Amino acid sequence: MTLLSIENLCVELEGPNGVCRLLDQVNLSLSKGQCLGLVGESGCGKSMTAMAIIGLLPQGMRAHGKILLNGEDLLKADEERLCQLRGRKVAMVFQEPMTALNPVVPIGRQVAEGLRLHLGLTRHEAETRASQTLARVGLPVERFALSLFPHQLSGGQRQRVVIAMALACGPEILVADEPTTALDVTVQAQILDLLADIIDEFGMGLVLITHDLGVVAETTDTMAVMYAGRLVEDGPTVEVFERMAHPYTRGLFAAMPSHSSEGSTTRSPLTTIPGRVPDALSRPAGCPFVTRCGFATDLCSRELPLMKTLGHRHNAACFNIAHVEEGS
Amino acid sequence: MSDGLAEIWRTGLRNRGFVIGGIITVSFVLLAAIALIWTPYPVEEIVVTRRFQGISSAHWLGTDQFGRDLVSLLMAGAVNSVAVAIVAVGLGVGIGVPLGAIAAARQGWLDEILMRANDFAFAFPALLSAVMITALAGPGAINSIIAIGIFNIPVFARLTRGAALVVWKREFIMAARVAGKGPLRISIEHILPNISSVLIVQVTIQFALAILAEAGLSYLGLGTQPPQPSWGKMLNEAQTLMFLAPQLAIFPGVAIALTVLGLNLFGDGLRDVLDPRLRRER
Repeated sequence: MTLLSIENLCVELEGPNGVCRLLDQVNLSLSKGQCLGLVGESGCGKSMTAMAIIGLLPQGMRAHGKILLNGEDLLKADEERLCQLRGRKVAMVFQEPMTALNPVVPIGRQVAEGLRLHLGLTRHEAETRASQTLARVGLPVERFALSLFPHQLSGGQRQRVVIAMALACGPEILVADEPTTALDVTVQAQILDLLADIIDEFGMGLVLITHDLGVVAETTDTMAVMYAGRLVEDGPTVEVFERMAHPYTRGLFAAMPSHSSEGSTTRSPLTTIPGRVPDALSRPAGCPFVTRCGFATDLCSRELPLMKTLGHRHNAACFNIAHVEEGS
Repeated sequence: MSDGLAEIWRTGLRNRGFVIGGIITVSFVLLAAIALIWTPYPVEEIVVTRRFQGISSAHWLGTDQFGRDLVSLLMAGAVNSVAVAIVAVGLGVGIGVPLGAIAAARQGWLDEILMRANDFAFAFPALLSAVMITALAGPGAINSIIAIGIFNIPVFARLTRGAALVVWKREFIMAARVAGKGPLRISIEHILPNISSVLIVQVTIQFALAILAEAGLSYLGLGTQPPQPSWGKMLNEAQTLMFLAPQLAIFPGVAIALTVLGLNLFGDGLRDVLDPRLRRER
């Protein structure tokens, strides 16, 4: 059952030098109980997509296309409707648990506030629900009083509070924007497990934004790779990992640091993708990846490759998929 | 919360300005509170036979040209000062803080209009505009309160806007918006608690300025009208008697100076105590 479906989403910023397209023809879909991984390097439009879903694009940006939540187009909804949906139907977990909590408000109240706003609970009911939610994310009230302030908690505990805040009203979609980037590795695994458990338990859809492919492999059901505001490859995580049709996806995988072969003491230098992401204002006419791609041909710099279906729901936008796969 | 308050209290005790200023401020307010129910002598009682008395056990600071007890007058004058300052600063906070918060929340043209109006108000020296307003509206306690309150509004509006803008940029505000909260709710639940320490400190400073302004207006005869006692008016009346009875000018002058000094010390100390960054450095 499709919960969220994004169709041809474009986000444009009108600047002094003309219109600048930050997101271009993004198509994504997410079902109940599923996790969608959104991968790409900084500035590729991952967070922009998240902000578009939640309806909080920065001022001056325009979105068109469709973002359908249970069939309702969020881009056509007015601010009042969006305020009802935010927190109630769509919730978000942020990257920095240090800054995502209000430092002067006790955690219990921060979790309870959403409940009172959206479900109209009384202070007492909201506090009961808040302590239940906090207990669910691993902060039982016996050890973590509702009256604690954020600075009295560790990073991982704070991220749990942020997740509890997002979870409190039982949203249908949870958008997690690099929820583990600011945490250390052991806590990272705990938080990811928690998120995975929660989407199973509540039947939510999770949009997981990350640049960590290990996280994607472990947690997501489907994944989408973004580059310079466009999707370059998407499909079921297993298939994408098996086949990796787009050169950029391959580059990302290659750039993942790994232990060098057993026994060797010399360290191999980290693999990188040469060059840099083209500026949003001066993208090449053809494939945005053309300047950094080892498989580029004349066609690539002239024409924009469109998404091609490769197999069951697996798509990639590249002219030279055959070459890429041969070359591996 | 009690932990936080206890810590503030402990750091406060180590701050000399905070302690001295606090003592002066509290005793000043206490004196005013006592004067509400009791003064050594009734302040409106004129007894010509005991005028210009010096310091004695019956009249600790002597009597004025009408034979009124100076201690009683100063105490009653403190009531006047506190009342004017509370209402005037309250007016400034009550109107200025919401204006600043709205400007920060809405941005755009509304922000622009509010802040330009603010600049306009700021362009006039505060005391001068208070004189202007009372001169136009007529002298009197109420008008002087309004005049002092009006020049407090832009101070609080600008301070609130600036501090709120900083808070608006922080991520937990984004989190609050994602949770579906509107700008009004965010301003009340998230912005104001985060800027309250700045506002509290400004209140103490404006309180001192309001007392000073009230004394100034009363000195010019534009503020509190007789027979209600006021420190500024006492100074004014003592002016012509400077060589005959200098203590009539000195004591109200000392009262004004001490109160303003106390409030300023208290405000400065409070700022240091409430600012966690300064607290840790010490």
